[in-house]
Amino acid sequence: MPIKSINGCIGCEECIKSCPTDVIRLNPDSKKAEILYPEDCQICHLCRMYCPVDAIVITPDKSIPVIVSWG
Amino acid sequence: MKTETNNLSRRKFIALAGGGVGFAAIAGLGMNIDWALNNPEIDADTILKNTINTDVLVVGGGMAGLFAAVKAHDAGAKVMLVSKGRLGASGQTPFAKGIFAYDKEKEKLSIDEFVAKVSRSALGTNNQTYTRQLAEHSLARVNELKEWGFFESSLYNKSFSKPIEERNIPMHERVTITHLIKEDDRVVGAAGFSIDEQKVLFYQAKSVILCTGAGGFKPNGFPICDLTHDGTVMAYNIGAKVTGKEWNDGHPARGENPAACYDGWGDMFEQKPSTTSIEVRHDLGVDMNYMAYMSGGVAQMGRPGMGKQENSVSGGPYRPEEFSSEKGQGGPSKDGEKDGKRPPRKDGEDRPPRKEGEDGPPGKEGKGGPPGMGGGVVGGSSAGMSIHKAEGLVPINDTCESTIPGLYAAGDALGSYMAGGIYTQIGSSLSGSAVQGAIAGETAAKYSKNIKAHSISASKLNAIEEDILAPLKKEAGYSPAWVTQTLQSIMIPNFIIYIKKENLMKAALAYVEELRDHHVPHLRASNLHELRLAHETKNMVISAEMKLRASLMRKESRCSHYRLDYPELDNENWQAWINIFKAEDGTMQLEKQPFNTWATVETNSKVEFNS
Repeated sequence: MPIKSINGCIGCEECIKSCPTDVIRLNPDSKKAEILYPEDCQICHLCRMYCPVDAIVITPDKSIPVIVSWG
Repeated sequence: MKTETNNLSRRKFIALAGGGVGFAAIAGLGMNIDWALNNPEIDADTILKNTINTDVLVVGGGMAGLFAAVKAHDAGAKVMLVSKGRLGASGQTPFAKGIFAYDKEKEKLSIDEFVAKVSRSALGTNNQTYTRQLAEHSLARVNELKEWGFFESSLYNKSFSKPIEERNIPMHERVTITHLIKEDDRVVGAAGFSIDEQKVLFYQAKSVILCTGAGGFKPNGFPICDLTHDGTVMAYNIGAKVTGKEWNDGHPARGENPAACYDGWGDMFEQKPSTTSIEVRHDLGVDMNYMAYMSGGVAQMGRPGMGKQENSVSGGPYRPEEFSSEKGQGGPSKDGEKDGKRPPRKDGEDRPPRKEGEDGPPGKEGKGGPPGMGGGVVGGSSAGMSIHKAEGLVPINDTCESTIPGLYAAGDALGSYMAGGIYTQIGSSLSGSAVQGAIAGETAAKYSKNIKAHSISASKLNAIEEDILAPLKKEAGYSPAWVTQTLQSIMIPNFIIYIKKENLMKAALAYVEELRDHHVPHLRASNLHELRLAHETKNMVISAEMKLRASLMRKESRCSHYRLDYPELDNENWQAWINIFKAEDGTMQLEKQPFNTWATVETNSKVEFNS
């Protein structure tokens, strides 16, 4: 996975706002950021760099969906 | 709220049967279409509408959008800034770290000499007026950025927010603009939707400045993925001329984890920006694809473009002699940075210096690559993107005005040919966006002062709303992700987009037309995130068609456009740019415009000016 985990989120939404590809959203119940669309992560690390508490872990690998005839 | 269900509800059944096309037929045959069913998380019928009135609407929150908004405001206009992402944190601006500033006190070359040098490297493809404008205005823009604190942080949101907040310029972030609105032959606004609130937004404006950047096919390894040529396609859809689609950005990615653009660029994204001075290059990128293509690919040649002399092959993209002898003139990369962006790291191995007059594609220099860039490089990391400032709306003069009255563009959304069909001046992309944004802002403000506000007709607003929400209302359809993936498979291989040949481009065009006609109309979206993807996918498909048609038309090789079947420069026939526009019958048309001329506009405009 590209963006792998968010641990220790303080709910400031900096990562949500800064993600160019809208990968992260605020969980309405926990009021913390959650990774909702990891397949759209472009591994640019903006979310991690904007995070004030260094909560985001990103790995360089990315798997893509398998090729199918329609989908 | 609808509840998620995989059962074919009565409403869905009626919609499928009544839809008549494709999916209804499948359902009629009794085939299970669970895979295609849309399970909306939101009810499109309850989405709110909001209308905002302004003089100047700036679309895009990167470097061009920042200056467009600030300068339009300072020129007395009421301004609204709308960004698909966050101010200073979307598009390509956040990742560009070098910014060119021409300082006559420090430079050895005069502006005339600078323009001449860029023009020699660009083989005539640059618009000399815009090249000169860059040099003349860059230092003033850089000094303003300095005042706002731009050079003090690696992250740009804070410094970009300063002048916007100081001026109380209203801003909508995370709003995707999908439509430009034209009535009475001029631009009267734009429309789009929020990805956070269930809301369609209409902006009634006297003028619109597109600062929407460029785009790609959501390629991996280059920070381009929220850019999908939205501005270009919106403008094309209302009749604007666009240009520059045959050129190619040729950035590579690392062979290992090619999607990891942060890792590929080392720690550059963490660095504070800095200025660059005159350094004119001829950075190809397509040469790497040529080497890989001619040598049998990565497996045989080891590291494509790494420039091991024995891997050199004859022929390939032409490089002017003046720009071939300097060490490191190898492609989209050099030790250090290219156009404000440092290239992916390479494993360190020296390359023998290029010999004078040596044939064949130059290799890449690999000296001094930081550790961790093992495994060589692969191509296509920016696939779908042209050269910065070479693609986008066709300007009709030096004030960023498009072929549609009231519509302006700046930065990567304007086909200004500031640099040409090839990367020339290092760091000019970022300062070019600042320079053009400022000029577009001032011009649009001036235009808006003399124009009456226009009330957009309800019928037009309704039709646009329907179009925006259509993917949410699909009962069944194709996922944007699948259509995008299919498009990538068609367009990204180097034998289609980089090493061009008539037969394969025609084959690819047939595939793209299939997506355009049979898949795009059936794009589905279950939420606002996917709705954005659906509209982006539409734009990418149209952009792919433009890219193929322009590449087919240019029967020569020049700068970053390389045809295997027409490998030579053709100065007799091709000292011309290609403009693309939508004809009355909806078909895509192309025309030539001689280098260093301005596009002409048929003026049947009924613009009413205040006396």
